[in-house]
Amino acid sequence: MAKVLIPTPLRQYAGKHDSVELNGSTVGEVLSALTTEFPDLRKQIFNDEGRLRSFVNVYVNDEDIRYLQKDATPTAPGDTVSIVPSIAGGAVQTAPPETAPKTAEPPLTLSNDEILRYSRHLIMPEVGMDGQLKLKAAKVLMVGAGGLGAPVGLYLAAAGIGRIGVVDFDVVDFTNLQRQVIHGTKDVGRKKLDSAAESMSDINPNVRIDRYEVALTSDNALDIIREYDMVVDGTDNFPTRYLVNDACVILKKPNVYGSIFRFEGQASIFAYPGGPFSSTRGPCYRCLYPEPPPPGLVPSCAEGGVLGILPGLIGLVQATEAVKLILGSGEPLIGRLMLYDALAMRFRELKLRRNLECPACGDHPTITKLIDYQEFCGIPRPVIELEPLPVSPTAKEGEISVVELKQKIDRGDKFMLLDVREPHEWQIAKIPGATLIPLGDLPKRVNELDSSVEIVAQCRSGVRSGKACDFLRQAGFKKVKNLTGGILAWSDQVDPSVPKY
Amino acid sequence: MIKIDKPAWDIMVAHAESKFPSECCGAMLGKTVDAEKRVTQAIPLENSYAGEQGARYELRPEDLLEADRRARAASLDLIGIFHSHPDCDAYFSKTDLENSCPWYSFVVLSVKGGKFDHAASFLPNADQTDAPKEELIWPKS
Repeated sequence: MAKVLIPTPLRQYAGKHDSVELNGSTVGEVLSALTTEFPDLRKQIFNDEGRLRSFVNVYVNDEDIRYLQKDATPTAPGDTVSIVPSIAGGAVQTAPPETAPKTAEPPLTLSNDEILRYSRHLIMPEVGMDGQLKLKAAKVLMVGAGGLGAPVGLYLAAAGIGRIGVVDFDVVDFTNLQRQVIHGTKDVGRKKLDSAAESMSDINPNVRIDRYEVALTSDNALDIIREYDMVVDGTDNFPTRYLVNDACVILKKPNVYGSIFRFEGQASIFAYPGGPFSSTRGPCYRCLYPEPPPPGLVPSCAEGGVLGILPGLIGLVQATEAVKLILGSGEPLIGRLMLYDALAMRFRELKLRRNLECPACGDHPTITKLIDYQEFCGIPRPVIELEPLPVSPTAKEGEISVVELKQKIDRGDKFMLLDVREPHEWQIAKIPGATLIPLGDLPKRVNELDSSVEIVAQCRSGVRSGKACDFLRQAGFKKVKNLTGGILAWSDQVDPSVPKY
Repeated sequence: MIKIDKPAWDIMVAHAESKFPSECCGAMLGKTVDAEKRVTQAIPLENSYAGEQGARYELRPEDLLEADRRARAASLDLIGIFHSHPDCDAYFSKTDLENSCPWYSFVVLSVKGGKFDHAASFLPNADQTDAPKEELIWPKS
């Protein structure tokens, strides 16, 4: 049982009542009871598809059901259900800028070849000629041509987006091919930008592809993003993610976000500036994560690994959301965070609301221009190397190079080579003579080590073994050295038969 | 026909002029007798549009809900919405139409150079495709 307040103009359809008591345990049931009792109200509130008309908001007491459970929002006796229109307007004659057709450009049309190419879109009324022309008029910026960027680039090109910008300064390497399907084996060593643009143009030569061979920074982000209708964020690091977010908030461009780690992924649309889907702004990345995690807490894909298929799925969710934003149809992931677990094969969803106190998109924002995102994320500025690294690095205190290690082994020196990687890495590659104690097991197995014997610690690249050395020194071991560059350097400089991974 | 009483009208004009060069918005309360709507109270509301407000306005549904509560408490009805067009005529723009609702009278006040110039009232249809004018009577002096 709930009380429904009838707005004045609708009372003529509701027996002149200003409020009605109705049965129902959810908003959906209450509204259904309302329109059953007063059938003339139905077309005032619902459209032909039976959904609430675009201008109709429903409140339970003081809460908008969009932010509760929509139709399924429970109603208790004593609750008041209100029907409130959303109203906006203004003297401007055009649609909001994010969807406005650009001035002084000739009207877009499709050639006969394009009509054939997009025929499976054109025959669906939800896309049709209007929608396909919207796609052709659209300008989308992809940040990153890696795991997420691969499916985004391929499918957005195939879908007929008119102009796609790609920002990337990386080079294709063999470890990328397990997931970055926009690049092939023949592309290893090439710029990702060139390889990605070639794949996209091959799929659809009608697409204009703008290449930005730069790292996105506070100095260039606004100028690059300003040219586009929206950004699809395929970055793999926190400084760039916050940078993209803040730039999108400042420029009022939607940010189609995705991120991946091991077997899990997330996607959402941040910084929706208001438009066909909602008259109000959506939350931004900072509303969800006000502060970045401490550096090193969340491992990158290179450190933690990633299921190769995962970015395919999350990237396709991003591409789908970008196309929906352009078409203006469906229910995009605005104010919703989609969570995906590949191992469990489960999708979940969290509701997000714009944080009114958000420093970027709140009612009183403090971030009105781009900041130093490396510093914000606690990452020390890289020191620019003025001189090239020596080919045979001279050992720093507590470190040993792979060449020196080889000489040590050849001389028959007495020492322990301690491999602190994980057992599954040990199966991939190892240096002969090493002993495996994973870093996490080291504290409880430290008694297996002899402090009178020199220890050389080693891992894949030298980061984890550096931590192992720190731990051992604190535990009282004096003769400890870290193998610089790890097994990767060993493969490069000593024994190429040892595989790199 | 919609007729606006002087106390309400003075509030609407003062609100529109004080917000110039931004657009203002608000709610109109009153009674409908036969086919005549009579506005006896006006409530200025905040323009919550997030961007440049010179040619855009947006009403928070929460504010409208509150205006409706105040109307009910005073035994009045919420019968219309008003907003201003700074340095622009009182017509019902495409933006107005696409973000309207068919239940209320929409009064537009043209404010030129910071001073009220003229006004008109519109009745948008449910499909948001057309908004015929309705007769508007306001105190001329």
